[in-house]
Amino acid sequence: MLLRALSISLALLCSVVAHADQLVFGSFKSAVNAQNWAQKLSAQFDQSIVVVPLKIEDENRYRVQSEPLTETAFLALRRRADSAGVSYWRLYKDASESLTDKRTNSAIRSTPPLGAPRLQPPSPVETPARPEPSTQQRNQPAQQSTVNSSTLRGPESPAGSSADMQWDLGLQTRSFFSEGTFGQDQFEASASVEFQYYRGWQDDRRSITVSPFLRVDSADPERTHADLREFFVSSVGDNWDLHVGAKRVFWGVTEFHHLVDIVNQTDLVENLDTEDKLGQPMVHLSLIRAWGVLDLMLLTGFRERTFPGSDGRLRVPFKILDDAEYESGAEQLRTDVALRWSHYLGPFEVGVHHFSGTSRDPSFIPLVAPNNEVVLQPFYPVIDQTGVDAQLFVGDWAFKLEGLSRSGQGDRYAAANVGFERTFVRVFDSGADFGLIGEYLYDERGDDAFNTLFENDVAIGGRLSLNDFADTKALLGVIADVNNNDYLLTLEASRRLSNSWLFSIEGRFFTGGNKLPPDAPAQDVLDPGNKTAWLQDDDYLQVEFKKFF
Amino acid sequence: MTGLLLVLTLPVTGATKTVDSLAAAQAKGLQIFTEADQRQSGYGDMEVALTMILRTAKGTETERKLNIRQMEMPDDGDRVLIEFESPADIRGTALLSHAHKTADDDQWLFLPALQRTKKVALKNRNGAFLGSEFTFEDLAVPELEKYDYLYLRDDVLDDMPVFVVQRIARSKYSGYSREVFWIDQEHFRPQQVEYFDAEDRQTKLLRFSDYQLHADRFWKAGHMSMSNLETGKSTDLIWHDYRFGIGFQSDRDFSIIALRRSR
Repeated sequence: MLLRALSISLALLCSVVAHADQLVFGSFKSAVNAQNWAQKLSAQFDQSIVVVPLKIEDENRYRVQSEPLTETAFLALRRRADSAGVSYWRLYKDASESLTDKRTNSAIRSTPPLGAPRLQPPSPVETPARPEPSTQQRNQPAQQSTVNSSTLRGPESPAGSSADMQWDLGLQTRSFFSEGTFGQDQFEASASVEFQYYRGWQDDRRSITVSPFLRVDSADPERTHADLREFFVSSVGDNWDLHVGAKRVFWGVTEFHHLVDIVNQTDLVENLDTEDKLGQPMVHLSLIRAWGVLDLMLLTGFRERTFPGSDGRLRVPFKILDDAEYESGAEQLRTDVALRWSHYLGPFEVGVHHFSGTSRDPSFIPLVAPNNEVVLQPFYPVIDQTGVDAQLFVGDWAFKLEGLSRSGQGDRYAAANVGFERTFVRVFDSGADFGLIGEYLYDERGDDAFNTLFENDVAIGGRLSLNDFADTKALLGVIADVNNNDYLLTLEASRRLSNSWLFSIEGRFFTGGNKLPPDAPAQDVLDPGNKTAWLQDDDYLQVEFKKFF
Repeated sequence: MTGLLLVLTLPVTGATKTVDSLAAAQAKGLQIFTEADQRQSGYGDMEVALTMILRTAKGTETERKLNIRQMEMPDDGDRVLIEFESPADIRGTALLSHAHKTADDDQWLFLPALQRTKKVALKNRNGAFLGSEFTFEDLAVPELEKYDYLYLRDDVLDDMPVFVVQRIARSKYSGYSREVFWIDQEHFRPQQVEYFDAEDRQTKLLRFSDYQLHADRFWKAGHMSMSNLETGKSTDLIWHDYRFGIGFQSDRDFSIIALRRSR
């Protein structure tokens, strides 16, 4: 309700354009009734109110309406009608063919102001405020239409506003092929819900989006968590967008590793693939110009990375303290800055970004607890990162590049992903598409790169889209470390079961890495060369059913 | 034997008079398409809802709902933004196309789950659109300049006098060797299109019906039906709620930042 009031007052402020719209006070089957009503209103409003005969669904109707009005006269007449408690709807000068969805919301008008005389329409059967059925019947061309003159939508018009809500429920199981190194369960079941509420007004030029997420997990209390994925208001200008609030922003082009994607914190308990992100509070201005798109972001506040708990799988062999350390004295309240310019020229597209703020990847400080247990404390330094992402299409080849240089987290370092995707459409004599993906993931720090598993790795993958009714698709890939025998095999597939059910499976298999015993000395476990040791027992297959409402 | 002879002799007699008549047939083909194009031009902008009904050879059906916004550009090809509304799992996915008069079109897909915008490779335009019998190419707004035309003959379709005109895409990435349009002579509306593959086999047939006049000027088919002659599958497009003169602006409503607003 508050929103609606807000939307109306905002809209009123912005409607300075001259109109020639009309107010309609009802339609009658009887010409006499219409005439009486028109005379009564003319006298009361001191404004010429006329009767217009119409033919609607082969019936004669008589519409009581004002003459075309300027915006000022329109507002004045509407105020008088409001205070008299007379209901009405607005007729658009060039959109008379679709009246049904452009009426004034009668709910707002239903209560007349206190003390205002309430006029009753002459005939209770012929309620004036009811909109006429659409005159744009099939096979019956619109009677009047001025193409190219824009439809000016009124501020109080519900046509200019829209709202919808949808939500989904995910039921997920994860089956691990062996017991965890620290005795964690082999089976994990969880349920998640994600809502999305949207409300727009002024033809969606102003809007609010709210999207909370919740997961409840059977095995890991840390994986039971909630997040506001999105909660932002938007304002859309002629060549700019402004979003204020928590939202998600993705940067990048490669498939197996999202190197330059830095705006949002990773929701690591959701998935190891770092594609799930926490909502990041921000003020985000996007400008579109002839020279490309400029995104300017003030990131107001910091989100800490989520980590699986002691009972969870896919975790490091140490307890991670909840209490993180920050380089910035402002800790989580520091405002970071991110900007990105992007442009395209035919088959080439490029983005260049700079980020200055608290690193989304924590460094870890090993601490020895009083019971001699080694624990890790996340440390978030302040970094500067400059990077590029680019893509070039040549025939059915796409060549991809992501690169960055980061300072502030250890010595300045550079990292890059280069790769290609080649797509074959209509393979196997069917409508199916197949994409062959090859990527090389490089980090100049080598094994010392504590914040990534990929520092000198080759990834090969295949993406199959059957393009069938069920939209069956699968992505199979292997990421192999060039230096050793460390492999990660990954599979993602999904298939629609009905219009509201989606089935998906996901598998990750780790092999070839150094496997350490649970009681291995801390220095071995902390050795960067053993980074994947903690994943070697965590091969799993995940099955999920998702229902959309 | 006479049949074979006839077949053999026809091209020979044809060849002697081709030089003039070929140029004339090409000019007439272009003229017909130009007229058809002009009758669809000047709409400014529009929005329309589309229901796709996908049907297997056995008759099993499934449905997709889309919302389409379109805008004319003064010196460029049309802008089109297609938003997917159902099935629910692809809701919010959107496809933005910038057609160009002579340069290759630009096309981007927005995937809401990752908030990711992906450019679509031109070569992949003959991939199936949403599992339907339509390809991305079939649904693009064609620019006159990108095809060669050849008028074939006058004919009659459903008691309607039509022109039969062949169209060949200049792009090497087209999925068809040629398309044969049946265009009615009264209003220059396509009534039927036959699609041919590289081996010159007819693979698909598109029929238009339920034409309605919108905004006093524009004939729009309310119903289009594409049949795959090889698989027996078909896709129906049902267009509804045409609205013209919305007041779109290209940067605001058809740019990459507009695409990112899809939900």
